[in-house]
Amino acid sequence: MSVFRGHSPRDGGLGALRAKIAAIEASGRPDSGVLPFGDLAVDGCLPGGGLPLGRWHEIGGTGLEVETAAAPAAFTALVTAPLAARGQVVWVLRRDDLWAPGLAGLGFPPERLIQVCARDEAEALSVMEDALATVGVAAVVGEVEAADLTAGRRLQLACEKRGATGFLILRRPYGGQPKREATGSAAATRWRIASAPSEPAAGEFGLGSPRFRVELERCRGGRTGTWLFEAPGAYDPAADNWEMTDVAHPLRLVADLGDRQLAPAQPLRRAG
Amino acid sequence: MRAVRRLSAVSLEAARLGLHPGQKATDAMALVPELAAAEAEPEADAAALEALAHWCVRYSPAVAIDAPDGLFLDVTGVDHLWNGEAAMLADFRGRLLANGLPFRCAIADTPGAAWALAHFGEEGAIAPPGGQGPLLAPLPPAALRLETETWAQVERLGLRQVGQLMAIPRAPFGRRFGRAALTRLDQALGREREALTFRRPPTPWYARLAFAEPISAPEDMARVTGDIAAKLCARLETQGQGARRFEIAFHRVDGKALPLAVGLSLPGRDPARIAKLFAPKLETVDPGFGIEVVTLMAQAVEPISGRQVRLDNAREATVEEGLAPLVDRLTNRLGEDRVWRAGPVESHVPELAVGRLRPLAPAPGPKSPQARAWDRQTPRPTRLFRRPEPVEAVMALTPDDPPSQFRWRGQTHRVRRAEGPERIGEEWWKGAIETVGVGHVRDYYRVEDEAGARFWLFRAGLYDDPAQPPKWWMHGLFG
Repeated sequence: MSVFRGHSPRDGGLGALRAKIAAIEASGRPDSGVLPFGDLAVDGCLPGGGLPLGRWHEIGGTGLEVETAAAPAAFTALVTAPLAARGQVVWVLRRDDLWAPGLAGLGFPPERLIQVCARDEAEALSVMEDALATVGVAAVVGEVEAADLTAGRRLQLACEKRGATGFLILRRPYGGQPKREATGSAAATRWRIASAPSEPAAGEFGLGSPRFRVELERCRGGRTGTWLFEAPGAYDPAADNWEMTDVAHPLRLVADLGDRQLAPAQPLRRAG
Repeated sequence: MRAVRRLSAVSLEAARLGLHPGQKATDAMALVPELAAAEAEPEADAAALEALAHWCVRYSPAVAIDAPDGLFLDVTGVDHLWNGEAAMLADFRGRLLANGLPFRCAIADTPGAAWALAHFGEEGAIAPPGGQGPLLAPLPPAALRLETETWAQVERLGLRQVGQLMAIPRAPFGRRFGRAALTRLDQALGREREALTFRRPPTPWYARLAFAEPISAPEDMARVTGDIAAKLCARLETQGQGARRFEIAFHRVDGKALPLAVGLSLPGRDPARIAKLFAPKLETVDPGFGIEVVTLMAQAVEPISGRQVRLDNAREATVEEGLAPLVDRLTNRLGEDRVWRAGPVESHVPELAVGRLRPLAPAPGPKSPQARAWDRQTPRPTRLFRRPEPVEAVMALTPDDPPSQFRWRGQTHRVRRAEGPERIGEEWWKGAIETVGVGHVRDYYRVEDEAGARFWLFRAGLYDDPAQPPKWWMHGLFG
């Protein structure tokens, strides 16, 4: 498992201080390591140099995607694909519209996926909690509207039991009214994912590899940022096994968008 | 003892010619030279009767075999399902007739009376409650299931009808014909109970706990659930078996049985785990005045000795102790159709290409005749709508071009890049031939709008029919 590395404080004094704070925050929590994206521009913003494992993360969409959550689902599948090598991935749904062939095309092993369809929000959260605390489950993805502070804290405790990583895809029911945005959250990070125009290689027709505009909106112990990611291995059976190829992560950084809004203005995005 | 071949059963035609069971085969041959005789097969007859008994469970759970050729059905409290005894008997007769089985049947208060009416009375008779006496009176004494000697004596005394026997005072009757004959008479008239041996449930994996005092406290019910699970699991363990499904039934004092069931993803026999699965469902059981008997039945029993946890394989141990209980908890809480693993199904039609497997079913090997895995090279959406959504205001340069602009969910999307068409026809070999047509052909396009959102939409039908222009549908999102 060369792709997983532990905390590595970069510079002396500041690093020592950070480690001290982390130790106070963790309060005996086992260190589950991180999953680096393989690019310093991203990993430098995240505490420990990668996506923290054994925590849970919020992933939201923009515009219409708040209801369909296709880009967040694709992004989550790409991020959890390396974790699926460690165990099963439980995906808790409210609507049964996740399509396994699509995930397989992105490089996610469908034989590692257990899908659960919950009847309501509370049930989805409790199933997530149950799955996170189970041996043999590497990651749990849940599609819920929002998790309040109590639910988030419970999820965090469940994550710490076995070191499983949680992903909460924030998805509003069809035709539902937007809920009041949760003021605080126990999540380690919060991401906002939108599809971005693809760039096929020169001389090729059609669509290129899927691209995503990824915004790290909130990050405990780290910094925020906005990047353009590409999934070069999507729909390419040659890139079947991440550990065999030299690709460190299924997502490759294309550009650092920063706060400069280099991406074309998004007509889909609405206020609220 | 002389070896004499006798007729053991005769057909209706043979009976009309004067043949009867018990007749010597040589005599019968002399009477009817063209007689077609077959060797009697008592074992096969018994097996057929047992099969019929199992079939009769559709009418009543309590079926007793009356060897060699009879069945008793306890229909107490089940006739209302057919709107009365007459309707039930009519249904019963109709089904037997449809199967070509010769039969005689009757309904009465007691097994003895029903037997007598079925064998000697009017076929299909229904004795009113408490009214079997007058119906039995004209029947011959043999209708009382008497022993051969007793019957012969009754005949010798010139008693030709049950009614005459009923008229004899009890004390002289018992002295003259024996205690057994009196019992038979009482059983027929309902003055004495008769014990029938009802058929056992077919599973041998069955445990039963009876209590001296009825229980009703919730903690007691939880404890007896653990006790009975331990009892059955000990048996399963000695045989190296495990079960996938357990059914517990709480039998109340008032005779009502309250069943509960749990399923396991992998066959198991851990009593603590099984009791834990039952625990959340126990509160739905209303113990009423108390529970006197608990039964537990194991179904889908299969050997699990080969599945033992191996020391050299950590993952195997993980599934047994982590994942399997999780899947069991979720399945029993949410329902079996809400926890699944997607598996490939051989079909071109996108919505049919995914099947639901049991979450922990062993993955089919590469050489098994199972469906091939999904093709990873053709892009497929991450979200597939169960019902394709209509797409309006589609503009395309030429009929076979991908759309250059479309409207979906109230928003107009300008297509920047597109791939396609990928033509997917209907599975014409599955339906009726009349319904096959070009209207079911779908041309799929993968398009990307200016914001980068990727859609999977299709055009149903072709352009060749001006009366029915093709329609556009949104089927999925790539994200």
